[in-house]
Amino acid sequence: MLYRRVFQFFIIYFLFISGLMLLKYCLGLSDYVIPALSGMFQTLIAEYSQYSFATLNTMTVTVIGQVVSVIMAFVIGITGRQSTWFGSFIKVAAYNIQAYPIVALAPILFILLGDGFLTRLLIAAMICYFPVLLSVLGIVSKPVEDIEHFYRVTGRMRWQLEVKIRIFENLSQLTTVITGSATLAMAGTIVGEFIAADAGIGYRIRIALYQSDLAKVLIALFLIGITIAVYQALLELLGIAIKRAWTGR
Amino acid sequence: MPLICDNMTFTYPETENPLFSDVSFQLTRPGFHSFFGPSGVGKTSLAKIITGAIERYSGGISMEGLRTRLYSHNKERLPGWSGVGHHLTRVIPPSMQAEKDKLVEIFGLSDCIKSRFEQLSMGQQNRANLIRYLLQDWDLLIMDESLANVDERTRATIILTIKAMFPNRYFIYISHNAMEVSRFCDSILVFRNNSKTPQTVMVRGCNICDEEDVAHEVLDATLLEVMNAV
Repeated sequence: MLYRRVFQFFIIYFLFISGLMLLKYCLGLSDYVIPALSGMFQTLIAEYSQYSFATLNTMTVTVIGQVVSVIMAFVIGITGRQSTWFGSFIKVAAYNIQAYPIVALAPILFILLGDGFLTRLLIAAMICYFPVLLSVLGIVSKPVEDIEHFYRVTGRMRWQLEVKIRIFENLSQLTTVITGSATLAMAGTIVGEFIAADAGIGYRIRIALYQSDLAKVLIALFLIGITIAVYQALLELLGIAIKRAWTGR
Repeated sequence: MPLICDNMTFTYPETENPLFSDVSFQLTRPGFHSFFGPSGVGKTSLAKIITGAIERYSGGISMEGLRTRLYSHNKERLPGWSGVGHHLTRVIPPSMQAEKDKLVEIFGLSDCIKSRFEQLSMGQQNRANLIRYLLQDWDLLIMDESLANVDERTRATIILTIKAMFPNRYFIYISHNAMEVSRFCDSILVFRNNSKTPQTVMVRGCNICDEEDVAHEVLDATLLEVMNAV
């Protein structure tokens, strides 16, 4: 799975670079607009170390942000699963708030909290929080009648058991959602860094943009892509391991 | 503690015509009783009314002394995170563990008791589900196709075991097997198509308590009466 994801990324990335090269040589564009492969390679050698650390910095924020958002989504989703006034309120609020582009709130966070770690973490967590919350709400609100019936009629049903049954029955769906939300968390972190942070790969891309250095941007994209591919593959493997341990297959 | 239903009528909220109307019957003594009839005539709906799962109906129902009424059906599943044996141990009261082991043996589940529920055949799944219901605290147990996909010989063994182990409890067995309900049930409420009046007919079953307990002529007569009533 890890190799497959990385291999798929390589294919997509090199198709993208091939397209750029095709464009460059068909239209006769200068190295200033689209750098030659040799120029890109030189940039890779020169910036590899700095950009790798920046990507790892971004990845750290991404992972922490995603963990925070998944925990929050489960707490709110489990609280809001019931057909009570509070449950309905949480559901309606979640659907309405998620319709608002969180990135548009990023400047407010930078103004209030500065351009450090916490702001990037908040943006990452907020961007991947709502999709996870909506999925968790959908899963834990939907009864699994053919399993829950016995516990209800015999008076054995507890909320912990109810949540356990529903999560167990939708484990594959949850794994897919959490894996997919990693991309959102990464995107949130990079956007945050791009807007105003003082570290991370988004910050490096912003500098490269000011320098109009497409080679640096392409190197940054390569490192971002390879990192997120590995991270998602690891999440998938973790999901498979949990499923295997829990379901015995 | 009889179960008395008097002029019961039930209509699904979205429909105009009643599913069944003016159904009256009595189960005056504990034992193995049955609802029998074609699909879609209201057996399951009436069972759910009796257990309280359906509340909107007209007519009277008296269940004096039948405090706990459970409804089990053949689509139920056990959670898949542990083996069937482990699950049964957890949901059956400690005082009933010896009975659990006995039923597991008689129901033919000893060899697969450590397996997960989804690894069992459909017949084994239904038997495992039935065991956990049988060993709860209840006065009336409705078994809606609870022995579906179980072979005939094992079904007979299970029903006779249940009758022997729980002589003072009420059972309502919903089945489409005319021979089975005729042989094992004390009374059979036969549901007819809703174009017929009355919509249900009560037939006395053979109520056998061991395999060789019934004369063929008596069984044939009961079977004929059940089939004619439909």
